[in-house]
Amino acid sequence: MPSLEPTTIPFSIEAMRASLLRLEGDWETVQASRNRDAIYGYLTAVFELISWWEEERKAVTRAGRALHLRGYSSARQPEPFAAIILCTSDHCDADDRTRSKWSRMLRYAAEYKGLDEPLRDFVKRKGGINRCAERIARLGGRQRSLF
Amino acid sequence: MQVTILKIAMQILMDKILSEYADQAFEASRLRRNGVQTTRDLVSAEMLAELEATGDAMRFVDGEGQVAWKATPRLCDHLRDLERDALDDLEDI
Repeated sequence: MPSLEPTTIPFSIEAMRASLLRLEGDWETVQASRNRDAIYGYLTAVFELISWWEEERKAVTRAGRALHLRGYSSARQPEPFAAIILCTSDHCDADDRTRSKWSRMLRYAAEYKGLDEPLRDFVKRKGGINRCAERIARLGGRQRSLF
Repeated sequence: MQVTILKIAMQILMDKILSEYADQAFEASRLRRNGVQTTRDLVSAEMLAELEATGDAMRFVDGEGQVAWKATPRLCDHLRDLERDALDDLEDI
């Protein structure tokens, strides 16, 4: 008899590695591009990953696993967007301030973006990355960014 | 990229490419079964876990807020290359 329970598929350590590798590839694509909007490709990929982790209520745990895999450790709970950006981008090109700004923008999008609207369109409609980052900071989201 | 989601046994949502992979995996498992009953969902789940681990499939939240599966850009590129090669071969004949 087929099971009536929804099929759950575990997110293996190999799947985590493959996901981080994919995002690193997306980051390299951004670095190789002269298009100003190329960053949205990378940020959309980060957003997609955290969104489904969040849907399973495992974003913080998995972000912690990702940090551990990349050799980072923290006694505090990681902020998932900031953690994944840290794990998959180049620290020279994305410094602390930039990573913080992107993660705040992504948190703002996670809160207010419609499911069907592309991230790039949403951010542009809301005045750009800086404006979105400012908005979530004003709403009190800044304290969550620990990486 | 437009992603078409197909429902498989009302449980695992996946795009057209992965759905075709699931069809093939299920047929293959039916052919080699040794008295062991398996379901399409179980075969699909196993296949998706393998494809995710190799970076060929990924999960995402679809337009209805459900976690679904799609082929990664890498797999899409690979399939496009195969198709192009097949068309080139066809022209050579």
